[in-house]
Amino acid sequence: MNALQQEITQLIIDTLNLEDVTVEDIPPDQPLFGEGLGLDSVDALELALALQKRYDIRIASDSKDARQHFTTVASLAAFVQAQRDACAN
Amino acid sequence: MMDFHIEQWRAWAPGLDSDDAWQAWATHPIIVPEGDAQPSCDFLSAMQRRRLSRLARMTLHVAWPLCGEDEQLPLVFASRHGETPRTFALLSEAADGQPLSPTQFGLSVHNAIAGQWSILRGQRGESVAIAGEADTFEHAMVEAAALLSEGAPAVLVVIAEERPPAAYDDWIDDVPFSYALALRVRGSDMADHAQAGERWQLRLENGRDHSADRTWPHALDFVQALYRRKDTLEHPWKTRRWIWQRVP
Repeated sequence: MNALQQEITQLIIDTLNLEDVTVEDIPPDQPLFGEGLGLDSVDALELALALQKRYDIRIASDSKDARQHFTTVASLAAFVQAQRDACAN
Repeated sequence: MMDFHIEQWRAWAPGLDSDDAWQAWATHPIIVPEGDAQPSCDFLSAMQRRRLSRLARMTLHVAWPLCGEDEQLPLVFASRHGETPRTFALLSEAADGQPLSPTQFGLSVHNAIAGQWSILRGQRGESVAIAGEADTFEHAMVEAAALLSEGAPAVLVVIAEERPPAAYDDWIDDVPFSYALALRVRGSDMADHAQAGERWQLRLENGRDHSADRTWPHALDFVQALYRRKDTLEHPWKTRRWIWQRVP
């Protein structure tokens, strides 16, 4: 798990108030929604808000790609990194 | 006149979480320190607890053991002030021009806790969420009496109040500390005499409230009466005089 993945995992735990859950409990490739961790659509909205605040990025809620980005911690980290790189250029 | 058979009850307040603690409080009632204590609700998984506010935890904590595993029970959830900390947090975010938390916004209705109870306990029957004045407790009992008269074998009544943020101090003066009380009630009939629990009658009379000083919130006063085996309680509010009478 890289540093950004670890940071995002902790953000998920803090934002969604997951008591007794540690970063180690959420592997980067575990699905966050449905059968995986078990998050739902309200969690997705909450998480999108937290990511936008923390990383100063934009997430279009109607984007077809959004669902893909939110699949796992790894895909979220890749998305955040890409957004940051785009801003840096 | 309403007749109730209170089969079981359970109360919680910060530091008051056992019969012994409540018994001691009933003997010498004090304003207990608020702190940030809340029931753990560890009968639920972390995923199930993630959206439970403090008031929701208090409600679930007192109500949980009063409903059987496979039982369907109508619920009356009563709170005069509701979740003031959540309301205040949302208003503060709005005032600062910040986006509102979707989770907090989604739960910012008076029946949110009744809904969470329904989901977590698989309750598919009726539930009522009410807010009244200082006699919200008695109005909750009126709701329970209505459900019982419609044929419900038993009703779960929860009254829960949370100490509001300091910003509300000028307006809210009847929540000395956070508390929740759950009662499992049935209608009273002759067959009940042999059964455990307590029988009480509640009636409403017209009157003027002349008492200058407020005592304890009605629900807490009732808890005190339960523990101290009092027989009669009078709860005046404005033009209403609620009279509780224990039936021997």
